[in-house]
Amino acid sequence: MEPLTFALPKGRLQDEVLALLGEAGYALDADVGRRLVFEDRSGALRFIMAKPADVPTYVEYGAAALGVVGLDVLREGRWDVIEPLALGVGVCRLSLAGPASWRGRNLRLQPGLRVASKYPRLTHEFFQAQGISAEIIYLNGSVELAPAVGLADLLVDLVQSGRTLVENGLIELQTILPSEAVLIVNRAAHKMQFERIEAIVDRLAAAVTRREEAQA
Amino acid sequence: MDSIERRRQRPLGLTDLFGEQAAAYAALERLLIEQFERWGYQRVVLPTIGYDETLSTQASPRLSEQLYRFFDRDGRALALRPDMTVPVARLVGTTLYDQPLPLRLYYSGKVFRYEQPQAGQRREFTQVGIELIGAATAAADAEVIGMAVEALRALGVSTFQLNLGQVDFLKGMLNGMNLSAEGLAALEQAINRRSRVELQRTLAALAITGDTAEAILALPSLCGDAEVIERARHLTGNPAAQAALDHVAQVYRLLALDGYAEHIILDLGEVRSMDYYTGITFHGYVSGLGFHVLSGGRYDRLIGHFGPQMPAVGFAMSIERSLLVAHSAPPAGPDLVLPACEHAQCRQLAALARSLGLRVESDLLGRTGAALAAAAEARGAARAILSCDGERCILADATGAREVSLAVLQEEVRTWSR
Repeated sequence: MEPLTFALPKGRLQDEVLALLGEAGYALDADVGRRLVFEDRSGALRFIMAKPADVPTYVEYGAAALGVVGLDVLREGRWDVIEPLALGVGVCRLSLAGPASWRGRNLRLQPGLRVASKYPRLTHEFFQAQGISAEIIYLNGSVELAPAVGLADLLVDLVQSGRTLVENGLIELQTILPSEAVLIVNRAAHKMQFERIEAIVDRLAAAVTRREEAQA
Repeated sequence: MDSIERRRQRPLGLTDLFGEQAAAYAALERLLIEQFERWGYQRVVLPTIGYDETLSTQASPRLSEQLYRFFDRDGRALALRPDMTVPVARLVGTTLYDQPLPLRLYYSGKVFRYEQPQAGQRREFTQVGIELIGAATAAADAEVIGMAVEALRALGVSTFQLNLGQVDFLKGMLNGMNLSAEGLAALEQAINRRSRVELQRTLAALAITGDTAEAILALPSLCGDAEVIERARHLTGNPAAQAALDHVAQVYRLLALDGYAEHIILDLGEVRSMDYYTGITFHGYVSGLGFHVLSGGRYDRLIGHFGPQMPAVGFAMSIERSLLVAHSAPPAGPDLVLPACEHAQCRQLAALARSLGLRVESDLLGRTGAALAAAAEARGAARAILSCDGERCILADATGAREVSLAVLQEEVRTWSR
């Protein structure tokens, strides 16, 4: 049987996700190295390494049947995929942050509020839901710089330990979205390969549960 | 972009078809139309433009956002049709409602949606489909689903399937819980994402526990053959949900009788389009494509917006999506190329060949001899008349060139098969 294509995010999540897949029984050769395409030892899955933000694209189009992506990336786009499982790795949060002087201020009463973010849609929705009009300034990275140089008043970014914020003299004001790595599946593939994909979901779910129990 | 540059462009999400693709498009459309006519369906041809009020009828918020809207000279809001079902429902509700039932109608037409162009979505695409109106029976559902399977088969792909859902089963189950609108929406979203964690969290937030929670958690696994219906029966005591299962079981039995069961996957956890459909729903999938090529279902409350309430069931197939997988042959070249000469016999030969169903192309550029032979070859022609004096001509085909009288060719042409 043809292996199912599984899109993995390069970078931050890569090693943690590969370890979890190993625990779920999808063992890989040790020397995967910098290859972009490789199979697990059983030949059931063919992995492709993609830029994290591209994983939902591969999966929605069906170029990959399965993928792993941060919930923050998934919610920022309007992806029509199914998301059967949260993997418990890459845990972080999308937060509103800014200089300490902004603690406790009523944002609704700050006309002309400028917010820098790599997540324009989630940021916009967050402010709109509270009736706050804010100008969203899109940046590709190093969002913490924005308040320091007067580009924006506040920023919305992914926070893991909070150290980057502290080092830049910023504080976390509010959590917008708790995030972690989630398994996503192409809708048509899920229909056409229901039993194979459900079996993969079950094995990964069991591995996630074992980890949770080991930590408890 | 300045206007000179824009003159040469197509707006985003629109496409040109030509050559092999255009031929495949026409061939698939023809194949589907012939199939529909064999089942007794009759063509309807409807306007592309309608009043916004008409075309927005029962549109989901998503579809409503995707309408191309503009104004007529009196300031009334118009729109380009985003699907074919609503225009057909308007025709039936206002005009055909008292005709002998059931009505069997088919259409082929362009529809327009302001979509982000992604995953096989175009802003203008073609829907070919049917509507069966005036019959609420399982037999009516089975007829339409059987035709949908045949439409998938027409694509010539080795593996295809049709996922059959029943929204009345879900509605029966969920309505029995007396949830708020927000609670219901949250639950539907979690089921749609098939997210186990989100589903558990939502159930907890809504204080749904015990057997009811177990039943909802089991919904995503209700996917498979006839045994799915039996599993579903044990999940709920709701009479509406049970009646919905009886109905889908009967539809499935009829489909099995016609030999379609192997292509049908029962999929009772499907929540999409729940607002619109009122009974069975289905989506058609083919291997190698990450999205459905066909969708349909029963919508018994749509026609009532335009006239008397009438039950209806139908489906539409997207030609453009289907062409991504349909097996297509390159368009056939002409059977004969000949000079556009002024000899009556030569022109009669062309007319005769066309009347026999052959493809005949006149060279309109005044070429003869080697130049015409090269042009004919470039067109993939089976044979060509390279020159002609009104009595005799030079005919070239795969075996070479020979001189032959036009009178002989008049007979020989009958042996040239397509």
